[in-house]
Amino acid sequence: MPKKALILLTTCLLLISILIGGCNDIQSKATTTTPQYPTKPITIIVPFSAGGGLDLTARALEKMAPKYLGQPFVIVNKPGGAGTIGWNELSSASPDGYTLGLSSVDLLILPLYGPTKYHYPTALEPLVQVSTSSFIMIVQAEQPWQNLNDVITYAKQHPAQLKFGHSGIGSPSHIIGETLAKDAGITLEQVPFRGASEVTVALLGKHVQIAFINPATAKEHIKNGTLRALATTGEQRLTDPDLAYIPTFKEQGFNIVLNNWHGLAAPKGLPPEAKTKLAEGLKAIVSDPEFKTNVENLGMQVEYLDPRESTEKWLTDGENSAKTVQKTGILDLIKAQKN
Amino acid sequence: METLTMLLHGFYISIMPINLLACTIGVLIGTLVGVLPGIDTISAIALLLPFSYGMNSTAALIMFAGIYYGSKYGGSTTAILMNVPGEAASVVTCMDGYPMAQKGRGGAALTVAAIGSFIAGTIGVIGLTMFAPPLAQAALSFGPPEYFAIALVGLIVLTKLTGTSLLKSALMALTGIMLGTIGLDSLSGISRFTFGVAELDRGFDLSILAMGIFGIGEILTVMTKPNTQNNVPAVRFRDLYPTSEEGRRSVAPMFRGGVIGFLIGLLPGPAGTISSFTSYALEKRCSKNPAEFGHGAIEGVAGPESANNSAISATMIPLLTLGLPFCGGTAILLSGFMIHGIIPGPALITQQPDLFWGLIASMYIGNLLLLIINLPLVGIFIQLLKTPLNLLMPLVAVLTLTGAYSINNSVFDLMWIIFFGIIGFFLRRTGLEPAPLIIGIVVGPELEQGLIQGLIICDGNIWGIFTRPLSGTILVLGLVFILYHTIRWLSKVNHLREEVSS
Repeated sequence: MPKKALILLTTCLLLISILIGGCNDIQSKATTTTPQYPTKPITIIVPFSAGGGLDLTARALEKMAPKYLGQPFVIVNKPGGAGTIGWNELSSASPDGYTLGLSSVDLLILPLYGPTKYHYPTALEPLVQVSTSSFIMIVQAEQPWQNLNDVITYAKQHPAQLKFGHSGIGSPSHIIGETLAKDAGITLEQVPFRGASEVTVALLGKHVQIAFINPATAKEHIKNGTLRALATTGEQRLTDPDLAYIPTFKEQGFNIVLNNWHGLAAPKGLPPEAKTKLAEGLKAIVSDPEFKTNVENLGMQVEYLDPRESTEKWLTDGENSAKTVQKTGILDLIKAQKN
Repeated sequence: METLTMLLHGFYISIMPINLLACTIGVLIGTLVGVLPGIDTISAIALLLPFSYGMNSTAALIMFAGIYYGSKYGGSTTAILMNVPGEAASVVTCMDGYPMAQKGRGGAALTVAAIGSFIAGTIGVIGLTMFAPPLAQAALSFGPPEYFAIALVGLIVLTKLTGTSLLKSALMALTGIMLGTIGLDSLSGISRFTFGVAELDRGFDLSILAMGIFGIGEILTVMTKPNTQNNVPAVRFRDLYPTSEEGRRSVAPMFRGGVIGFLIGLLPGPAGTISSFTSYALEKRCSKNPAEFGHGAIEGVAGPESANNSAISATMIPLLTLGLPFCGGTAILLSGFMIHGIIPGPALITQQPDLFWGLIASMYIGNLLLLIINLPLVGIFIQLLKTPLNLLMPLVAVLTLTGAYSINNSVFDLMWIIFFGIIGFFLRRTGLEPAPLIIGIVVGPELEQGLIQGLIICDGNIWGIFTRPLSGTILVLGLVFILYHTIRWLSKVNHLREEVSS
């Protein structure tokens, strides 16, 4: 008899503990799962190869993620096709908050030139923006031009002699060069290169006369006195004390404003809780002085925009770029090559 | 003299325990990356970048550089032992290294590769120490028209690399050039030959092609053989190392390879691959019995294996003195610099002398460490040949596919590597030499880019490319080369005719 009672007791105890345990689990699921997002590492797709500017921004975020989001970022580089391969993958990912991707101004510009597999500005939704950088216009220091006007005067006196290097047809640097030529009424021959460092090599070797690139690549040569910067494309001047003397295009009478920015984007349809949590966590990351230093080391400026502001920026940047590629004839150039 | 003082100071920095440790870890990881087929240097360094945030910047950069040059040491191991190149630069090593291993001289080939790598690596670092800033300036005077000229002449000289017919080689090179045009072209902004397949926008990675055609192709070839036991003669300890005859024959190729690799490393593009091919072509022309090439000529291992190592040292020159990476490997090193807030450039030597000279001195030490690590490994690797091929080859296939995946994190690439493996298998069967294909795909894009940019720079006038002093000279050299070979061929034909008629 006591044996039977013992078994009964044990069974009851087990049953109760299972019930309690089960209830507990259900309870926690009901009340805390969503706020507890993220419960596992978040995959971050970088649509460029390791070591590029966007990749380094991702790695700066990766470093801070466990501290402010409670989960690590896992960076996956999906390079190729000027970013399309990675962004395609991001667009097709499930919007559960566990697959995010780095975004840059390129994802707004790419679909302008022809149908991409997904229309990124609508297939993706912006999460936050973390940093920005302007482009700068550089020339060889031994050229007599001291400012933008000197170049334009020279170009008018010597038509079709100046050539500018840029990082690929349709890239922001190409857009800037063509806009300047159009607005100033001069001819600048465009020479396409693969990336900013190739452009700088060609400029240093005097194979082209002008280049439009990101400040980080040229900074040491500007400081060293082999290259001279004549204008930046920001609304305001650069904050880097070494480069703060460079006037903007606007100051010199040209309405050329085009900034590169880095941020995070998610596939459309992210749960609002996840979005809020990510926005908060990322804001905290961006405000961390260590993150600021890391980003400034890469030649960018920290500039946080929340999801709403980022959405607005995507809209205005997209519209402006669409107008510009039309106006400058870049769209026609690319379309002509396709036929 | 001042250089020497600074270099001594650099040695003082690089033998500090933390830096020495970083250097050792770097070259160890590099060796591993090199030996494992397909594992890519760039992804290996990228993976370690976040861990370096907390490290002292000099130590971190010494470690990254160690991985970078260290990875070129082991690349030939699988090429020599199994005919599976670990990276594109080792494709050439297969051609003579594998026949050597078949004859039981695999140990000698590995040893010569290690010693050659050390000698040429050191030649490269000496060049880097002595002439970095002036050489960087010289490299800048090469613009797109010059790249076009070099690519064109290189294509002509390198195509007839192997013994078979010139027509077959030229066809393979052309196919390579065609394959090189696939993908999104940044020069025109449009996708070419992708048939709307978005993944094809990336184009074919050189490593994917090389590992597919050579690596997977070889594995498939082995699969079709009934006998899975390795029929390599047993290697006695004495046979592990080169005979004095082999040693004597390797010395000149090592130094020639060291110099030529260094010069090629100064120019943009995949310097490691181009330099090993060039060195092979050079050795074949210098050799007294070129017929031996392709059947286990030790010069064909010593030259290329040396060349790609000094090329690696030379690629550090534009990175350190201009802050501009000329190839993928130095691009990831530049990221390493930037993460630590150091932007290399003309002022690096004067503003960060500790870092600059410490890094360079660590490269001397690292090369020595690599030799010390690699020589005993020869004995271990050679034991691999005792493994039955039906166990070894699947293992190599898994490693190759893993490595291939890691390059772009793309399953699509895995399909392509197998596809190219099958192509490679049939190429072997039909006697078409696949090496010129690799040359085509390396040189083709440079040729096209150089021509497009060169024409714009020369205002659309193709004669402009011929009248620029540098590109003109290179093109004339190429012309002389063609004329010389045509005349030789004609006289040979005449000779034959006379013999027939008499």
